[in-house]
Amino acid sequence: MVEKFEVMVGNKAVAYAVKLARVKFISAFPITPQTTIVQYLSDMVANGEIDAEFVTVEGELTAQASALTATAAGVRSFTATAGPGLLYMHHPMHATSNARLPLVMAVMHRGVKGMQPDHSDMMSQRDTSWMMFECENSQEILDTGLMAYKIAEDSRVRLPAIFAGDGYILSYTDEPVEIPDQGKVDAFLPPYKSNFPLLPEQGLENQKIQMEQWAVGADEQTPWKNQQDAMDSAKNVIKEVSSEYERVFGRSYGNGLVEEYKTEGVDAVLVAMGTIASTTRTAIDRLQAEGKKIGLVKLKSFKPFPAEEFQRIAPTVKSMGIIDRNISCGSGGITFSEIRSAIYDVDEHPKTLSYIAGLNGKEVRVQDLMRIGEKTLKIANGLVVTPQVEWV
Amino acid sequence: MSKPVPLVKLDEKEHIASANQACQGCAGATVAHIIGKVLGDKMVRQEVACCGPAFGNLYQPSIYAEIFEGAGAMMTGLNRAFKKMGRDDAIVTGIIGDGGTFDIGFQGLSGAAERNENLLWICYDNEAYMNTGGQRSSATTKYAQTTTTPIGEFSRGKKEKRKNVTAMVALHNVPYVATASVAYPEDFIGKLEYAKNLKGFRFIIVSAPCPTGWRVEPQYAIRVAKDMVLSGMWPLYEVTDGEKFRLTFKPKELKPIKEVLKLQGRFRHMTDDETEELQDEVTSYWAKLIQKDGGSFQ
Amino acid sequence: MMEIRFHGRGGQGAVTGVRLLATALYYEGKFTQGIPMYGTERRGAPVVSFLRVGESRINERDLVHEPDIVVVLDPLLSKSVPITDGLKKGGLVLINHPHSGMEAGIGGPFRVATVDATKVAMEVIGRPITNTAILGAFAKVTGMVKLESLEEAAKHQWDPRLAEVNIKAMRKAYEIANAPVDVSEIKVEEVTEQVRARKTGERDVSSWRLFRPIFNDEKCIGCRRCYILCPEVAISMINNKAEVNYQYCKGCGICQEECPTKAIGWVEEKI
Repeated sequence: MVEKFEVMVGNKAVAYAVKLARVKFISAFPITPQTTIVQYLSDMVANGEIDAEFVTVEGELTAQASALTATAAGVRSFTATAGPGLLYMHHPMHATSNARLPLVMAVMHRGVKGMQPDHSDMMSQRDTSWMMFECENSQEILDTGLMAYKIAEDSRVRLPAIFAGDGYILSYTDEPVEIPDQGKVDAFLPPYKSNFPLLPEQGLENQKIQMEQWAVGADEQTPWKNQQDAMDSAKNVIKEVSSEYERVFGRSYGNGLVEEYKTEGVDAVLVAMGTIASTTRTAIDRLQAEGKKIGLVKLKSFKPFPAEEFQRIAPTVKSMGIIDRNISCGSGGITFSEIRSAIYDVDEHPKTLSYIAGLNGKEVRVQDLMRIGEKTLKIANGLVVTPQVEWV
Repeated sequence: MSKPVPLVKLDEKEHIASANQACQGCAGATVAHIIGKVLGDKMVRQEVACCGPAFGNLYQPSIYAEIFEGAGAMMTGLNRAFKKMGRDDAIVTGIIGDGGTFDIGFQGLSGAAERNENLLWICYDNEAYMNTGGQRSSATTKYAQTTTTPIGEFSRGKKEKRKNVTAMVALHNVPYVATASVAYPEDFIGKLEYAKNLKGFRFIIVSAPCPTGWRVEPQYAIRVAKDMVLSGMWPLYEVTDGEKFRLTFKPKELKPIKEVLKLQGRFRHMTDDETEELQDEVTSYWAKLIQKDGGSFQ
Repeated sequence: MMEIRFHGRGGQGAVTGVRLLATALYYEGKFTQGIPMYGTERRGAPVVSFLRVGESRINERDLVHEPDIVVVLDPLLSKSVPITDGLKKGGLVLINHPHSGMEAGIGGPFRVATVDATKVAMEVIGRPITNTAILGAFAKVTGMVKLESLEEAAKHQWDPRLAEVNIKAMRKAYEIANAPVDVSEIKVEEVTEQVRARKTGERDVSSWRLFRPIFNDEKCIGCRRCYILCPEVAISMINNKAEVNYQYCKGCGICQEECPTKAIGWVEEKI
């Protein structure tokens, strides 16, 4: 039985997630390529499909700052942004995570150097204690939006989350998306309750929370340690929620942290996030059809970084070609260094190559991925390749 | 229209903890004391980085974030959430300094006013970024010495005139805008009482001298505020719905501002010409206000 | 290396004083590290700063926990701040105090030297800024720095007029400073650090006070002006008369200035 579906662009899938999650506060500010998200939401509020306070704020910083206090006060909230808009929001990012607020935000990737997509926007917020979930198609965007609220609001986590997809490639491309049943979503995602006492009669409880958050009388490092512990717990929560989502809605994305695609018996893997991972599937299919033993590991949860997953996978392959749609200039591809750091202590770990691809929206084609797949396979078989970094 | 409230009519209950981390003689702390008194147990407070957190140890719940510029944004989130939760009995209040109102917070102020968010914005104006040691703000009076507008061969204190944010807020056509002073608590309390029963965006800016930054002995903090009102440097008025303008205190004759400046170390360097320049400005602005009194603000 | 802790009040020149001393020591070939304890810029609050003095660049960047010398710029501080905390056995306290070392209210395995720096400052400078006077006494009592070096530093710090008046204060204090005495036999009550955390119950700001208000019931008309204007919410109305809780009073003086019937007296805190 085909559930309700609609051919829609990725931005609309975001809007559906917000509607189904029964979000009650939306702060809206436009920026390409997410602008239509807030327009869809605006329509849905206008025609009564969504019952929420919809505030057209005067800038992105306000978009997040207002959503964070709305979350604290007690309503499930949402905002969306991209590229420079996310940079403008940087100031409240830490405030939201410091206050342990489960705010969820959609980021339709726009690189910081132009309008076209890459992951530099999200990566610029890497260390703000926000969870970061990457999506490769519009269905995944809708599903991940719902899962994000459940994960963020879990008492073992209570950290804000970004769910993201590549701008243009997903935001404005039409594809069929199944829309989950509202009743099932209500059962999956119960109503939100704030941990932050802010009602007028909650003065005493409020003071207590504030003292905790400011580590009054405690080790100054405590708030950070608490957030790190929450990120660790989040890994299990993500897996649980992912399993539950599959049971209820019939869809899953690996275990929620990573997905292994055709990796049984391979000698090498490519690792990728987002739409590049999607295109890589086709490259892998074709390579395997030629008898080449290479698979794909799709990284879905960038934060918390699933080190244990890579520690599990590493000893099973001889090489990894790690594709970054980002770069930290002066260092290198970010997931490249995260993965290598995660697998350093594993006794047998694979050789690694770094691929910088798709920056500033550069097209990443199946043939490009096939070529780098072949190259990655060659080093699995002993070939030495320099330099270790290739700009695709 | 607000009405002054005699102090003897005040409730005994305090809504603020005694003793705080502010400087001796901090008029901002007095502002917080008075606000607590009037808003009672319905207040929910937004705090931002400024002197406020140091002196406002109110018992009512608050949320603080290191977003100095975010008062307008954060109070928007609060009041909308309470509305959605059926709790708009909560009075969303901000006790924000001039920095977070005039400068870094100005965008958020204008945005929230333009949307007529249901909140009470109280600016305690100590005319500089006092929390960081006293750097000039756009609220600083012209010629005042601050740590970024010092007196030297090439500098005579603040170069620019004070930015009239009160008028700007009134031009957003919000329900209520008023000026107040710690030296006239009955008038201030009356305005708070009036504002607290309204809905929509309400703005009260209170003259709150800072003994540390203005270089005044702590005991004279209130006296300086009083002289500012008596000289016309700080007129007391209110504007309802961007339209109806009313002076709430009209001294028969304005005290010369020279007397007011004399009390403050930050004006110690003033020449007669400079004083005259400021006096002319005060006198002419007062004349405009007298003309508008009882009529239209715009 | 020597480690020194200074106790002063916000806005009263402790930081400048330490910098002056560090400059003087540098003239004599010593390296220093002066650490102010910045909280928020609160005038009147007790503040602490540290100075390390060594023969070469000092690498430690943590705080000073066991000073060799403690310098106290205000006599009232010793009653409300634990000034001898961590002071090494046999360590020296130099305190601005009108009485002798034995009567300064300090006891323990230490030596105490006093100088009436407030008197010197009032006489010479006209304001109770005791930082330079205390340094003059420091030179005499510790022998760690020459008076000439301090004077040189003062000329470097201020314009000639201000430098001259501060140098005078240094010299005067140098003359009248009392030699250190052993206070091992003196018994004093322990002083505990006040809780300064935001939003916790009991706060005590009485140590900020140099003067205290005295309320005269007969003159009080119950107008409530002092009550509403008090920044510390230290005043309550009992039977329609204003009464202050001294624990919460910083001695700002607003109440006595604003009282319409002059019902509030104003007296110096006793040392």
